Amino acid sequence: MRPRAAAAAGGAIALVVALGACSENTGEGTTVDTNRQQAGVIATDPKDSQGPAAEIDGAAKGGTFTIIRETPISHLDPQRTYSFAGLMASPLFARYLTTWKDDGKGGLVLVGDLAENPGKNVDNDCKVWEFTIKDGVKFEDGSPITSKEIAYGIARSFDPDLTGGPTYIQEWLADTAQYDTKWDFKQNKTSLPPGLTTPDAKTLRFEFAKPRCDLPFAVSLPTTAPLKPEKDTGVNLDQKPFSSGPYKIAKNQVGVQLTLDRNPNWDAKTDPVRHQYPDQFVWSFGPTADAANNRVIADNGADQSALAFNSVPASLVAKVAGDPALKPRTLLSPTPSANQLVINTQRVKDLKIRQALNYAIDREGLVKALGGQTVAQPITTLMPPSTIGYKAYDAYPAGANGNVEKAKELLGGQTPELVLGVADNTTEQAEAVQLKGNLERAGFKITVRNIPDDAKLDEIKKKDNPWDLYIGNWAADWPSGASILPVLYDGRTIKAEGNSNQSYFNDDAINAEMDRILALPPSEQGPEWGKLDERIMKEHAPVVPLYVDVAYNVHGSRAGGVFISSVFGYPNFVNAYVKQ
Amino acid sequence: MSLSPVEGVALAEIESPDEGDDSGRTEFVGRSPGQLALARLKRDRTALISGGLLAFFVLVALAVPLIEALYGVGPKEQFQNRLDGYGMPLGYAGGVTGEHWFGLEPGLGRDIFIRMVHGLRTSLFIAFAAAVLTAVIGVTLGTLAGYLGGWLDTVINWITDLTLAMPFLIIALALMPTVALRFYGQREAVPAYFQIGVLIAIFALFGWTGTARLVRGQIIALREREFVEAARASGAGLGHMLFRQLLPNAWAPILVAFSLAVPQYITSEAALSFIGVGLTDETPSFGRMIYRSLDYLQTDPAYVFFPGITIFALVFAFNLFGDALRDALDPKSSR
Repeated sequence: MRPRAAAAAGGAIALVVALGACSENTGEGTTVDTNRQQAGVIATDPKDSQGPAAEIDGAAKGGTFTIIRETPISHLDPQRTYSFAGLMASPLFARYLTTWKDDGKGGLVLVGDLAENPGKNVDNDCKVWEFTIKDGVKFEDGSPITSKEIAYGIARSFDPDLTGGPTYIQEWLADTAQYDTKWDFKQNKTSLPPGLTTPDAKTLRFEFAKPRCDLPFAVSLPTTAPLKPEKDTGVNLDQKPFSSGPYKIAKNQVGVQLTLDRNPNWDAKTDPVRHQYPDQFVWSFGPTADAANNRVIADNGADQSALAFNSVPASLVAKVAGDPALKPRTLLSPTPSANQLVINTQRVKDLKIRQALNYAIDREGLVKALGGQTVAQPITTLMPPSTIGYKAYDAYPAGANGNVEKAKELLGGQTPELVLGVADNTTEQAEAVQLKGNLERAGFKITVRNIPDDAKLDEIKKKDNPWDLYIGNWAADWPSGASILPVLYDGRTIKAEGNSNQSYFNDDAINAEMDRILALPPSEQGPEWGKLDERIMKEHAPVVPLYVDVAYNVHGSRAGGVFISSVFGYPNFVNAYVKQ
Repeated sequence: MSLSPVEGVALAEIESPDEGDDSGRTEFVGRSPGQLALARLKRDRTALISGGLLAFFVLVALAVPLIEALYGVGPKEQFQNRLDGYGMPLGYAGGVTGEHWFGLEPGLGRDIFIRMVHGLRTSLFIAFAAAVLTAVIGVTLGTLAGYLGGWLDTVINWITDLTLAMPFLIIALALMPTVALRFYGQREAVPAYFQIGVLIAIFALFGWTGTARLVRGQIIALREREFVEAARASGAGLGHMLFRQLLPNAWAPILVAFSLAVPQYITSEAALSFIGVGLTDETPSFGRMIYRSLDYLQTDPAYVFFPGITIFALVFAFNLFGDALRDALDPKSSR
């Protein structure tokens, strides 16, 4: 009897599954807006930096906006905020020297936040910068924010106990990567780090040893959030940061729920980007990406005004994309996180082979292998389209599926044997199969070698790593070419280990050009980076640009105003509201 | 329990009349224990069906090149033009068509049928080879330990305990990449036969203990029997004792252990591929396939269905056949 019962059960399962599979897939569904042209600039008109921010169509006051996320935000303390969730939560309760005015469609303007403008380059050499603080900006207790409190915020970021935050400003001020030994915050709590001064309550002055033209971008990170020295609770500030933004911490059940209430002392007239529509923001932690997305899709009760912060998981993509009723409730947007097939130029020295790789690549097939247009979007440039000064070009036009004949012609009958090193995770394994099949059609001989997932990044960052090709990813901290091209393609930075320049590309002419552009005023650099981008690809082809990651989120039927940040590629809440 | 020659004869006498001899002639038919077992197996419908299914699977696995030539699609060929923008196969039930009988894999767009046929070969080969190896090691060590006893028994028992105590998964995880690195460096391709060989070696290394203990127990029970003592008293050598007197009487449990080990190795190969220490994606295997398909349970159930139902049928048939074999060889233990 036992075997018969088991056979019956097996048959029943088979029948159910078979019935479930019987609906025709005709290939219709959501498409990603591929023509997202970025036109980021630094505001020159002081009016751009003034509040209040333009009202959002259809926005209403009131209600509770819920954000569901699997894991808690690692740090709430602004000086320690660097994770994407933290960077998206922080603007609700912290203001910075500068910030991004983001229309969610790629239009980015860097404006003054607490400062009246995005910084004044005093001697036009990028070594001395001055910021003038706005009138009427206040903390949650009603006390005014002056340059002193902003300077104190920057000073406490030197504290080695307060780990986790970005380190650009600290390193630039101290002019060394070991900034915490150069200036000890704990010994000098009443003074300021070298180079940082407050000539008066309205002025903050940075003086650097070297030109730092990217400073206006760097101060848009939460390091520059103000703090009163008497409110500094050290490592405990992580539980309850002292607010300068439109919301303040009402209750923080660590790891479970974070509740933000309106801050009555925030003045909309001083703020060029933030709004204060919902009565309350609630970050709820715990449900898995699957559970959170299923809850939001179900759209019941409080979940109607909720957003699942985790992207729609691969297992649900076809379900969400195939349901036209869900379309108005989804956010779908390419992010600035760019992926390349990095060519180790120390090993693959022949430019023709690198160009042939670029001609051979089948981006459409690769995107399909990854899970389709809601996961990845093809690019042909080094910088992602969200970069200031981005120039759309295709140095090796071969169509969506690659041009095998052109690649073979460049190879001239030889079959280069290349080793592709991939992490042994599911995604890269699928990519490896895809790339091997794709490139072998074009006359290459590809050997796939697996690298343990957790060691892959360290291994490919070693200068004398044994592989010819690997998949690299770069997501910049601000959308400027200066935070992408010199980091990834300046050959003078190559060291034995820990390289960001993973193609180990080094060309004197390109290095010199980078120096020239870096010395230009920040507002003029944009188009120059775009030109250099094209020049590197045309002349040297050190990588094969593959795709940018795509953000795909679902929200409830009453949640509004959320958009995907053009800077970080995650949902932004400055315009969020609850439909009444 | 084992069948002594005496018991075999006795059973033959009892069972022979039911061969449909109505004429009343009571002629005794002499049969060996093996013939008896075969006769019992033939009467068992479960055994016939599961055995037939197994034979079919083995036949398919052996005929892979022929099937591939007739089917006209290779296991590495991609048909991405038959996928939609999300990488999902177009059409019904995961892209089932006349050319692609079981549809296409989402994402990479490879043909599921031909990959399954190849995967069947890989999985069956690994499982059979590992089962044969474990049986050989286990039987050798178990027989020696059981018959000779003394210090050899102690040492073999001690090694068995040590092997049983070693964490299989952790060692498999640590061993696979290290061995590949040792033999092929960081740039050379690791051929599929090497990965398969390492897998079989790992299974053999850890799988022999059960058989060894089983056989040792059997041999200890047998070695004091009269016919063994008689052989010893007549001055038989070690080889004769082992291969003529003891082993033929311990065949039943060994065969059953073997038939149950094969499905266990098929599922183990799948499980190891789950955690990434089995084969790479280039070698079609059931484990890899099922592992990849689970993500698509909600969106492309057909992808989970075909490999899932096949491995289910394969393991189920093996287990049923193992059960039936045990019943046939040792009819006293059941019912």
